[in-house]
Amino acid sequence: MRSSIREFATFDWRRFRQARLPLVGVGVILVFVLLAALAPFIVSDPTQIEMRREQDGETITPPFPPNPRNLFGTDQLGRDIFARVVFGLRTSLIVGILVRGLSMVAGTMLGLISGYFPKAVDDVIMRITDIMLAFPVILLAMTVTAVLGPGLVTVCVALALVAWPDVARLVRGQVLAVREQSYVESARCVGAGNWRILLRHVLPNCMGPIIVAFSMGIPGAIMYEAGLSFFGFGIQPPTPNLGSIISDGRGYITVAPWYPGFPGLVLTLLVLSVNLVGDGLIDVMNPRAARGVGSGHSAA
Amino acid sequence: MLGYTIRRLLQFVPILIGLVTVLFALLNILPGDPARMMAGPFADPDVVKTIREEMGFDRPLWIQYLDNLWDLARGEFGRSYQSRRPILKDILEVFPKTVQLAIAAELTSALMGIWLGVIAATRRNGWADRLIMTIAALNLSFPLFWLALMLQIVFAVFWRLLPPSGYGSGFDSFIILPAVTLALPSLGLLARITRAALLEIMGEDYIRTARAKGLRGPLVMRRHILPNALIPIVTTIGTDFVRLLGGIPIIEVIFVWPGIGKYAYDALVFRDLPALQASVIVLAVSVSLVNLVVDLLYAFINPRIRYV
Repeated sequence: MRSSIREFATFDWRRFRQARLPLVGVGVILVFVLLAALAPFIVSDPTQIEMRREQDGETITPPFPPNPRNLFGTDQLGRDIFARVVFGLRTSLIVGILVRGLSMVAGTMLGLISGYFPKAVDDVIMRITDIMLAFPVILLAMTVTAVLGPGLVTVCVALALVAWPDVARLVRGQVLAVREQSYVESARCVGAGNWRILLRHVLPNCMGPIIVAFSMGIPGAIMYEAGLSFFGFGIQPPTPNLGSIISDGRGYITVAPWYPGFPGLVLTLLVLSVNLVGDGLIDVMNPRAARGVGSGHSAA
Repeated sequence: MLGYTIRRLLQFVPILIGLVTVLFALLNILPGDPARMMAGPFADPDVVKTIREEMGFDRPLWIQYLDNLWDLARGEFGRSYQSRRPILKDILEVFPKTVQLAIAAELTSALMGIWLGVIAATRRNGWADRLIMTIAALNLSFPLFWLALMLQIVFAVFWRLLPPSGYGSGFDSFIILPAVTLALPSLGLLARITRAALLEIMGEDYIRTARAKGLRGPLVMRRHILPNALIPIVTTIGTDFVRLLGGIPIIEVIFVWPGIGKYAYDALVFRDLPALQASVIVLAVSVSLVNLVVDLLYAFINPRIRYV
């Protein structure tokens, strides 16, 4: 008997939040994806250096503050920060999708096996996830990139390596519930093999949480990549990358706050939008178990 | 309860062995000759050779691995390649500083988060509630290193209120920026959980009874609502503390806080393998101890839970 007029008042606000914000997120992501995809046609050359410029009859030197030509200002070499950010978005988006894709595939496979096959197999896989989860994430990722050498691919491998155990646990939990269902038993009765049951009957029934986990994990991947690059363990210049732009801008925070400022804002906006979409997906699909999976997304 | 605690601690032994194994494998693929690193870039080849033999880098890897495990089992962390000091000494020096930072950050996050959650719940659907919940949703999205940088700009460079980085004497003005930066992302989550937990309890009959018998609002909140809403809040603080420990290396490096995260980072940069191994172990053990304490605390707050 708790419903009252007040409850009615919450209704609109909630629906607004649930229905509109994910759409806003989708919109922002679409804009970013378009910008990143069409980058060479939209923005100027991100490597174009400009060491002096005439303004009001005076010669000024970079970093130039934001102006009509350089929306986000320029860096110490006169390179357009907006152009660099747009190209950096490319890297972020690619890494986000790739890392999450890799860790989802690996985590889902191991989770399926762990949840379905005999206890001995389960134990081995779960102990491995225990070990991986015991590592301080950022240090492990840094060590792996130090071992493999910096670069886009190695960063993706390193980040996927730290992200799969969460996925494996989530999927395993789902499998444990699903494999007791009568349709699994029926499939076995008509003679379906283990792998057929796993891929055709168990996996499709775990898809809801898997999709949510996919989207909830992307922000973490993007932020960790930016963090690694910020510390010099990630993607190396001259590949434009949000983390290294912010890192380069550190030395200029007093004279050019726009330099590290705008790239960070764009990164935040991107991460926020993906989070919003993830929240929206949770509301639509409502797999309660997937809630905790995105918990890594603020640690970088 | 004691049996449970012991079992949990014992479970951690194989995990630690696995951790050391993975690290050992990784670090031995790492390019760079440790003997050369120790000798310096311009050292005589003979000196490098002597060091290699002295440190046992010329032995087969599996012997080095077992030796390493045996050393660790005896609590022997070895000497840092870089400072040449016993690593245990280094760790004992840096670890308390990390504990200070973690406690300061978690206190900030817990107190602010609960306070904001209480405000949001008591003014449900008011502008304060909406503002807090909107900020709470935004909070999770800031990249920690960028947030750190921006707070440094605002509070240390423009307003000159706080030192931008460094370590003073522990709980002084130096700790404020790193602690707040660490606390900010989790504060929102805690506010959300607190609000939801309070709203649930506020609908209970015994709260109506408490109000009906004339208790004042704040007293009802302190005596009846908060204690009953404590379980989800404490659980969140626990998981949040673990998350916060994950951000510690980043924050320590940016704010030049001489804790174990910075120590580990420096060790990695200088390829100081034993120091890196030791700090990773210490960090992993601290996280699992925090997890254990949270689980025990959980049983303590909620007597319905019994660990056997």
